[in-house]
Amino acid sequence: MEVFLNWNFIQELILSTIRMATPILIVALAELYSERAGMVNIGLDGIMAFGALIGFLVSYSTGQPLLGVLAGAVGGIVINSVYAFCTIHLGAEQIVYGMAINIFAPAIASFLYKIKFGISSSLAQATLMQEMPIPVLSSIPVIGKLLFSHTPIIYLAYLLVPLSYVFFSKTKAGLNYKAVGEFPKAAETMGIPVVRTKYLACMICGALAGIGGAYLTTCYISTYSDGVVSGRGFIALSAVIFGRWMPGGVLLAALLFGFTDALQIRLQVLNSSTPYQLLAMIPYLCTLFVLAFFGIKKAGPAANGRPYFREER
Amino acid sequence: MKQKFMALMMALAMVMTAFTGCSSSTESTSKDTTTENTASEPTAAETEESTPDTVYKVAMICDSSIADGGWGAACYNAMVAAAEKYGFETQYTDGLTSADFASSLRSYADLGFSLIFAPGNQYTDAVVEVAADYPEVSFALLNGTVEADNIVSLLPDAEQIGYMAGALAGLMSKTNQIGFIGGMELDTTKAKLASYEAAAKAVNPNIQVVSAYANSFSDSAKGKEIADSMVTASDVDVMFGDASAVDSGAREALANYEGRYDIGQPSDLLATQESAVVISSVVTDNATLIGLCMEDVKAGTFGNKTIYGNLSNGTLSVGTFSDAVPAEIQTQYLELVDKIKEGTFIQ
Repeated sequence: MEVFLNWNFIQELILSTIRMATPILIVALAELYSERAGMVNIGLDGIMAFGALIGFLVSYSTGQPLLGVLAGAVGGIVINSVYAFCTIHLGAEQIVYGMAINIFAPAIASFLYKIKFGISSSLAQATLMQEMPIPVLSSIPVIGKLLFSHTPIIYLAYLLVPLSYVFFSKTKAGLNYKAVGEFPKAAETMGIPVVRTKYLACMICGALAGIGGAYLTTCYISTYSDGVVSGRGFIALSAVIFGRWMPGGVLLAALLFGFTDALQIRLQVLNSSTPYQLLAMIPYLCTLFVLAFFGIKKAGPAANGRPYFREER
Repeated sequence: MKQKFMALMMALAMVMTAFTGCSSSTESTSKDTTTENTASEPTAAETEESTPDTVYKVAMICDSSIADGGWGAACYNAMVAAAEKYGFETQYTDGLTSADFASSLRSYADLGFSLIFAPGNQYTDAVVEVAADYPEVSFALLNGTVEADNIVSLLPDAEQIGYMAGALAGLMSKTNQIGFIGGMELDTTKAKLASYEAAAKAVNPNIQVVSAYANSFSDSAKGKEIADSMVTASDVDVMFGDASAVDSGAREALANYEGRYDIGQPSDLLATQESAVVISSVVTDNATLIGLCMEDVKAGTFGNKTIYGNLSNGTLSVGTFSDAVPAEIQTQYLELVDKIKEGTFIQ
């Protein structure tokens, strides 16, 4: 027991939680922006994979991880514009096109990687983004190291949470944005540009999901390999539902996933004799438990997932 | 009208990219159509074998990527090297989920491939199922334990691999804590872990082994977290892994600390790259093993055997050492490897 109460252990656990929760948080926010405008995008995993590759390629060839992250955002927008065009303009089924993205985006990423690097017994290495301790704040004992000495992307992710809260709940633009997801017809009659908002939502979603993918290959590890995303997009998708379509809820959900995952790794390391499958289940069991405990009231945007036809009655 | 056209174009573009992503070995694409036609008849394989200018083809399926810088890449390169030697054409499909193993094997069998290479224990069920329906196609199962008329198992000795890694880890560890990362709990992984532990304890009785599974072969970020937690929570200083891309993530974490080392497999990592972390590799020469299968396919003697890979027949060997391994430990280690080879290391 004393192993767990050791300060060093707790500190490493918290740092690990923050690292593991960040990609899930960024991508869950991407989905939040998408679904608030009524666009269910289950293609997050695919967008992440593409963002991870583009981010890696740019960071590898320029030596600038920050440029890589930006490129990842652009890559995410490009991939997601396929989804946006088909679902908004052509009124296609959102789930089907999201799934299509999940199939074709990782395939393109894998294809491009093989063209560039071939098949060798070692992975190409890029530079990793340096941590950027915030002056003054990072010298506060205890909290400084835990909260204020990370890569810029981590600050961005956590800063986005209160910003999104203010946007969605306190600004007129945010309320208009949410109206598109709730009742697009009424929104349109009030002069809110529904189609333009939906496109904007898809661009935000693509950019953030691309950043989430690029985070993996520019801030987390310095290599790209197929499958590096490993289902994080789907976990982010559930984090949105879990967080009841609220920025704060999404943050809590991402942190819960990150914490339980970090914890199960440490439990495995400390008790090698326990079957690992039991410990690997912890993050998912926690989700089930919390969902059952809090109940799933219908909380999502009312017109979520429905195509919008302007002239339909 | 314009919208419909655009939709069509986009769908077309998506389908095309999806296909190019899956399989892109260019050498046999031009001949694919011709062999496909002949192979649709069940007798095609027999006629193929009887004609002197038969084109032999080998295909590989893989659940990870073949560009994963680990297991997948090593197996693919081994197949290509062997194929060059024996004049086979190659093809592969990677990134498969376990639900697709059987259907992918089936489509290669339908396409008239003479040999299908499944590089891992996890494909056993799919291979057994499909092989029963295609008696004329030969299947090579790496790390397999089944034998049939058209299935040959290639079995690098997991026990010896574990002994080799464990002995070196035991000699090199200063903190008496060594680590092991597994991808999935496969039989061979469990065997490697058990013998890794046994060997390390035989060399240094105070050694403690810490192990963890990533539940993935591709999540390198998780590999980094696992290695990080092993170092910070258990002060592990030498690690060995059986999880391809996950291992490269682990090595990246170890590089952030002083005096933390990793033992590579299955290719000789230090022969192709510089690394401050890798101290040596346990090398498996899969190319020779697959080559033996190809020989049998050509001679028509394929089936009903297991080709073992061990130190005695040269399929297992010690890789390049890094400067971090002192000369006396190298000699000590090589003596131990000789004992492992003779079977006198651990009775």
